[in-house]
Amino acid sequence: MSFLEFLAGRWSEILGLTLEHVVLVVISTVAGVLIAVPLGLAITRIPALGRPVLGFAGVIQTVPSLALFGLLIPLPLIGGIGSRTAIIALVLYALLPILRNTVTGVRQVDPAILDAANGMGMTDWQRLTLVEVPLALPSIFSGIRIATVVGVGLVTIAAAVGAGGLGSLIFRGLAMLDSRLLFAGAIPSAILALLADGGLAMLEARLVASRGAPTS
Amino acid sequence: MKGVAISFREVTKSFDEKLVLDRVSLDVSPGEVLVLLGRSGCGKTTLLRLVNRLVDADAGGVYVGGREVGDWDPVALRRGIGYAIQGVGLLPHLSVGDNVCLVPRLLGWNPERRRERASEMLRLVGLDPREHGDRRPDQLSGGQRQRVGVARALAADPQALLMDEPFGAVDPIGRRSLQEEFRALSRELGKTVLFVTHDVTEAFRLADRIAVVADGGIRQVGTPHEISDAPADALVRGLIEGAA
Ligand SMILES: Nc1ncnc2c1ncn2[C@@H]1O[C@H](COP(=O)(O)OP(=O)(O)OP(=O)(O)O)[C@@H](O)[C@H]1O
Ligand SMILES: [Mg+2]
Repeated sequence: MSFLEFLAGRWSEILGLTLEHVVLVVISTVAGVLIAVPLGLAITRIPALGRPVLGFAGVIQTVPSLALFGLLIPLPLIGGIGSRTAIIALVLYALLPILRNTVTGVRQVDPAILDAANGMGMTDWQRLTLVEVPLALPSIFSGIRIATVVGVGLVTIAAAVGAGGLGSLIFRGLAMLDSRLLFAGAIPSAILALLADGGLAMLEARLVASRGAPTS
Repeated sequence: MKGVAISFREVTKSFDEKLVLDRVSLDVSPGEVLVLLGRSGCGKTTLLRLVNRLVDADAGGVYVGGREVGDWDPVALRRGIGYAIQGVGLLPHLSVGDNVCLVPRLLGWNPERRRERASEMLRLVGLDPREHGDRRPDQLSGGQRQRVGVARALAADPQALLMDEPFGAVDPIGRRSLQEEFRALSRELGKTVLFVTHDVTEAFRLADRIAVVADGGIRQVGTPHEISDAPADALVRGLIEGAA
């Protein structure tokens, strides 16, 4: 039986797992955005927050993903086997790139532009919402793109704690020494990562063009 | 709105130990166009920025409408004072029209009124609202951007105007017509204007009075006639004769 025939036979299973995979990535990335963007903006206003928050997110980033999933399992409430544990770990991983890009995006706004905003009589909130966030948007967006692409890869590993998704094919393939199963999980997952990267890059380019944001 | 008085009382300001303004006093009457004339780095921009509290004095007082600027809410103060920034400082992500009507927007004008006002202001500074209004600032020439900066300063009909070398990047012919336009307009509307330039001809063309700034202080204040007839010292004479 050729690999293609093998795929054709499991078509609906692969599709279902791909969907599960996408859902896990979307949920964790969206949650990551909802936490990291406001937190990043808060850091630009309260610099004392910067060190502990970015430090925490950075430390998580250095924990190997399999270990992090493993660490979460025994924890009460958030732990256990299943997609909930996986999502919590995935959100934690999504935090750093989004946080960092939000903070640097805002900090990179030309001081002359901020000075003009102040000179026109903007309140701090107006300066943030009308000037800093719009000008930081391309940077924030590329943080989201990084988090998404990394997330696609991490979700495959999350299958180890029973999250589902394409990783379950890979792990099954490993356990059964069946390379066809392994590729049936790995190939769609690689394609997903490429699609997410390309699609978000296109969106990003359109965003920059439509808002006339400066390239500098 | 009619102009307000602006006064500096013994204002001192240093940046990093470097004394930039040393006990400067100056009174600008309501409705007057006062031109600050002086060489690069003498503190002209600093004087302007003291008025809208982008810079705070180390000592002495700055008064707008008789009230110390420290007693004003800075946001309200700045919205009430038009500011044409040296280097222009347009917001790159907003259209030209939205830049012009930034202060009206902050003041809560409705979009339709803002659009009308933006068109009016753009025409005033010699730009075509239909051609230029929807562009981004980076799609304009340096001189055009500067005109937009002036339009933005005027848009909310402020009581006072701070103009920091507003026509520096405009070509000589365009500058001439902007100067005339500006002179007529400020007279007609009776606004108080603090106008910075290092162009002596421009100073003489626009000013009710000129204040010559040098070495941390004001060397001479007077009408253009007074200054050209009787320069206070060699520096003032050198400055105005250099232009002749
Ligand atoms: N924010 C600042 N920090 C440090 N030094 C400053 C600052 N602003 C101004 N200075 C210094 O104060 C002095 C006066 O500056 P200012 O901008 O008022 O000069 P100016 O007369 O407007 O000059 P120009 O004609 O070149 O615009 C300069 O020596 C300048 O380097
Ligand atoms: Mg200056």
